[in-house]
Amino acid sequence: MTETLAAHAPIGAPPPRDVLLEVRNLRTTFKVLDGIVPAVDGISFSLKRGQTLGIVGESGSGKSVTALTIMRLLDIPPATVGEGSEVWFDGREILSMPLEEMRKIRGSEMAMIFQEPLTSLNPVFTIGDQIAEQVALHQRLGKKAAMARAVESLALVGIPSPERRVKQYPHEMSGGMRQRVMIAMALSCDPKLIIADEPTTALDVTIQAQILELLKDIQQRTGSALLLITHDLGVVAEMVDNVIVMYTGEIVESGSVTDVLLEPRAPYTMGLLESIPSVEKRGGRLSAIKGVVPSPFNLPPACRFEPRCPYAWDRCRTVAPDLARTTGDTHLARCHLHTPEGAGRLPGALEHHRTAMHVGRTLPTEQR
Amino acid sequence: MTKYVIRRVVQAIPVIIGITIVTYALMLAAPGGPQQKFAQNPRITNEQRQKFLEAWGLLEPIPVQYGRWMGILNPKADGLAALIGPTGWPNFLPTPISGSDNGVLHGDLGYSIDSGDLVGARIIRAALPTAILASVALFVWLTIAILLGVFAAIKRYSIFDQFATIFAYVGFAMPTFWLGLMLIFQFGVAWKILPVSGMTDIRVSPPFGSDAYWVYFGKNPVASVLDIGRHLILPVVTLVVVNIAGDSRFIRASMLETLGQDYVRTAKAKGLPGRVVTFKHALRNALLPVVTNIGLEIPFLFTGAIVTETIFSWPGIGKLTIDSINQSDYTINMGILLITSSLVVVANLIADVAYAFVDPRIKY
Amino acid sequence: MAHEPDREGSTMSPSQPNSTPAPAEAEDYEINLQSLGQMELVWRKFRQHHLALIGVGILFVIFAAAIFGPIFLPYAVDNIPRPDKIAYAGNPPSLKHPMGETGGLQWDVLTLVVNGARTSLLIGFSSMIIGVTIGTVVGAISGFVGGFVDNLLMRIVDVMLSLPLLFVILVIARFFKDNRDNVWQIIIIFGLFSWMGVSRLVRSLFLSIREREFVEAAKAVGVSDRRIIFRHILPNAISPIVVAASLIVAGNIIGEAFVSFLGFGVNPYTPTWGNILSNARTFLLVGNWWWPAFPGLAIVLTVLAVNFIGDGLRDAFDPRSRA
Repeated sequence: MTETLAAHAPIGAPPPRDVLLEVRNLRTTFKVLDGIVPAVDGISFSLKRGQTLGIVGESGSGKSVTALTIMRLLDIPPATVGEGSEVWFDGREILSMPLEEMRKIRGSEMAMIFQEPLTSLNPVFTIGDQIAEQVALHQRLGKKAAMARAVESLALVGIPSPERRVKQYPHEMSGGMRQRVMIAMALSCDPKLIIADEPTTALDVTIQAQILELLKDIQQRTGSALLLITHDLGVVAEMVDNVIVMYTGEIVESGSVTDVLLEPRAPYTMGLLESIPSVEKRGGRLSAIKGVVPSPFNLPPACRFEPRCPYAWDRCRTVAPDLARTTGDTHLARCHLHTPEGAGRLPGALEHHRTAMHVGRTLPTEQR
Repeated sequence: MTKYVIRRVVQAIPVIIGITIVTYALMLAAPGGPQQKFAQNPRITNEQRQKFLEAWGLLEPIPVQYGRWMGILNPKADGLAALIGPTGWPNFLPTPISGSDNGVLHGDLGYSIDSGDLVGARIIRAALPTAILASVALFVWLTIAILLGVFAAIKRYSIFDQFATIFAYVGFAMPTFWLGLMLIFQFGVAWKILPVSGMTDIRVSPPFGSDAYWVYFGKNPVASVLDIGRHLILPVVTLVVVNIAGDSRFIRASMLETLGQDYVRTAKAKGLPGRVVTFKHALRNALLPVVTNIGLEIPFLFTGAIVTETIFSWPGIGKLTIDSINQSDYTINMGILLITSSLVVVANLIADVAYAFVDPRIKY
Repeated sequence: MAHEPDREGSTMSPSQPNSTPAPAEAEDYEINLQSLGQMELVWRKFRQHHLALIGVGILFVIFAAAIFGPIFLPYAVDNIPRPDKIAYAGNPPSLKHPMGETGGLQWDVLTLVVNGARTSLLIGFSSMIIGVTIGTVVGAISGFVGGFVDNLLMRIVDVMLSLPLLFVILVIARFFKDNRDNVWQIIIIFGLFSWMGVSRLVRSLFLSIREREFVEAAKAVGVSDRRIIFRHILPNAISPIVVAASLIVAGNIIGEAFVSFLGFGVNPYTPTWGNILSNARTFLLVGNWWWPAFPGLAIVLTVLAVNFIGDGLRDAFDPRSRA
């Protein structure tokens, strides 16, 4: 329950006004039985007002921890946010602000949608109570007005006969309906930022598409920014403007969604894309990234992807790569292939990737 | 819901029948029962003894004895005819229908072997003091257990939590009667500030439960209640300290579990203040399993009461139990055993039904 | 958290991509956690449980006192000292009698306590073994056979759990009250009334484990029922049984003291902690607090120690706990 963070000594300057969320050098570690695990290891990114950003990675890559750290929802301890980490939201540094102030931001300016709608809703209160409670708190409305607002939000997310639904308990609804309730709850106070942590993972495939469509629609209508966390590249392709790929707590690639998905430059992103099955690849060998994610206690000394990387060479085992500029100023990848030392190897690697992808394979983005 | 209640009641019936059989078997096997009652008495002739046994129906086959004790068989008839009551309806049906009034099923627990009193009347007389002691203890116990458990969970690993942990461990390890003895010594012998025995001050009031007492009570109601209150302090403290330990731990664990649930995180993400998150979203869920647990603990309250009442000479069921065992008054033993076991079954049933009420997810 | 290392150990062979040669040192990066044996892990977690270690320490001291105390102490329980000066209220703790002398016959309280420890510990642990054995057998039969047998056994358990057990024990113990040496009878009575919890536990474990893959796999390859029970199911059931056993020991030590205290337990001539307390009761009113205090403390410490150990074992066995 302790939620206090050590105040961070020097705070940098706030980002420009059009930037809603800026994360600078965020480091979150966990203390566990065998030592300290760096779950998020020095990541930085920013999200402009009304824009959408996707964070992609396998489980354990630190993407959910990033979201929880921004919301300040991690229990401290066992979690610790590193010195020098900064999160700027709407012109304020929120990691160092008093918790009481942070509470006023949560749910009203910054709302979160969780992965598992069944366990994320309180089983013993009606969904109307749960939404109205939040509205009443942030908008200082009476019980009746708050309940009316709850009905309105439920209607907004396409729940039929919302007046009846507000009186139901979470277990009386289907998974898709429950996730709509979560979205309605997040929207109820018109937040500037919605953080959706794997919002469709727990749902049936047919429902997934509906929920994503709804999220996109809502985001465009309300103009709030969306931070979408997912392991599914297909979802990213459909939903976001920019994307960040995370691996073992680090950003390995970032850029616009077209850059990253069509012209991946980090071998990890390439591997992820290659492993997506498609009609074109029928009959061919489906590639998968070799090996497993390394244990956080036994990280490779230099490049963390090196043991699994098909393009690695000596340098990858001795020097840790930085995020480097690739196809454009905004398209970055953490790989030695994009340094002068690796320039000679880049064409071969890209060729290898193209073969693996079966040239001509279409990505969801192209279908639009 | 009604269906569920009916199903639970039906499920409880074989258990209660089992209890009556065990009760009867236990007492039948007991040495020092009526069979031996006069065995050592030289002044009672064999003939007299035989007559006594016959009069009490103790020469009948055991199933017949059980049937009569239960009220399934009519003692005034023999053979299969005994199954039919005086009005012609089966004997086991309630008195207004069957016209029969013997046996457990008709609320008749027989006569005390020792004193000849009605067993039911003796138990009812002893039940009031026990009910007073147990209900006060239960109230104090639950209030403190919930407060201790919740705050220990919220302030996990704090000094308070560690103190509560130590208290719980020691309380859990402490035999009721030893704590009672030590309290008697400290408050009654060394400091002489609290009464250590009985329910009322016998120097000023008649013994509790007697007719004279109620006359006295009518004249001095406030003084009487205060008097009982003073006598309640040590027995209640004894029962509470010993019983609270397990519950506060249980509530703490339940609370810790709910505090780790996704919906608590959601509540925080909604920006709710800490106390709303804890006392509304978490506590409401944390108390669900506690409801069942309380139902299961009522027998412990009873066994705790046996010894507490003995130590503090509280004139309740516990004391009646010990006295009747000492005097081999086995009909009273049977009555107490039967009533308390059935109460346990009923308490469990109520706990289950109550659980279905407080948890909206449960539908039957 | 997703950041926990894989404890089961990975047998995945270090596989290197074909396009680059695999240098020897690359293996260092692979997940190569040794598979810690389950017992080793349990022991590792148990060692970190401070209370459990304290419990082991306390229990060790109490056992040592119970075994060696009566041999080395200068007094004996059956040998009544004849003091020069009769002190009805006894004598408070002193150097010669660290726990004081009792009122009345003026026994040395320490001698009583260590002699009582022998009987009380014997009763607590032996009755636990009886209870756990019965409970395991009943639970295993119930869970493995199922059907009517299961139903019948579980109804019996329901009935027994509904009875106020200490009351029943009081009634039964009374049968043996007048026997000169009834310790074993008391042990058997307590054993016969402490198996129900274990049987429910074992039954539910059987039901859940029976469905698990490794048992299904064993069945699929034609392993016999007996072998499945003894080689596959019981080893998995041991941890919760051990934890339940610790609770039984604690409960029966208190229970015996309770029954003896009320005068229905072990013959009053045999010292047990309950008997000592029972004898001390009347002398308390003349201020003789040390007579009941020390045997009571012995009970509290023993039960505390057993509970600490039980908690430590539960945490250590719990795969979710991380010490």
